[in-house]
Amino acid sequence: MTDVQRVDFIAVPTRDRDRSARFYGETLGLERNPNSTDTWIEFETGNVTLALVTPADFGMDFAPLPFGSIVLRVPDVEATKERLGEVGVEFQGETWDSGVCNGASFFDPDGNGLAIHRRYAPYLDGATP
Amino acid sequence: MAEIGVERVDYIRVPVTDIDAANHFYGELLGLRRNPNSPADDWVEYETGNVTLAVMTPHTHDYEFSALPPSTIALRVADVAAAKAKLEEAGLEVADMWDSGACNGAGVSDPSGNRILLHRRYAQYPDGTTP
Repeated sequence: MTDVQRVDFIAVPTRDRDRSARFYGETLGLERNPNSTDTWIEFETGNVTLALVTPADFGMDFAPLPFGSIVLRVPDVEATKERLGEVGVEFQGETWDSGVCNGASFFDPDGNGLAIHRRYAPYLDGATP
Repeated sequence: MAEIGVERVDYIRVPVTDIDAANHFYGELLGLRRNPNSPADDWVEYETGNVTLAVMTPHTHDYEFSALPPSTIALRVADVAAAKAKLEEAGLEVADMWDSGACNGAGVSDPSGNRILLHRRYAQYPDGTTP
């Protein structure tokens, strides 16, 4: 068994760091971590860091995050979908309702799979998000 | 903080082809706590301390599996070399440990080929804090 303490970051692969920085910082409005450098840019989501990574810098081929990899909690999925739609973000399919949560899937400019999400049902212990 | 009001990351989806093998890897070998709210046998959630990993099978959710790109998920461990040694004892292949000048890392694949990074920053951040 390994002593995992937390997730330090989720790597978000990009082919264009500046374009990604605008998307995560301006379109999604995430806070840029002040410890970022010119070549390693991090954004904070509240609980976990997203790090923009250019695979070519590490001699690797670019491959995007698959469908729905990073699932962002928002207050209201429909309202957020509308706002992002106004600034040109295209959603894939309709808003889903799993019976416990709503969500909608979209892609960043590199084709990384993201989603907005809100659980509306209580958890088994009665707590709600 | 956000224009669209992002509050946090609810989960990171980890696509796998074999849920039993994945449960063994994430639950037993990595020792992550299984979230009791996990809704189904083909969608099992594990807690890492700050964010949920939703381990799930795309083939039972109507789409095709593709693995996460290398080192998407950087798991903070106390000591990368020690974690590597433990996983190797359990029969896993772990890549050579690298040193970026600020952190150590070593990659290991889950049974479906998702490349996980064992990670520890040892250098201070510019603001003087350490992980």
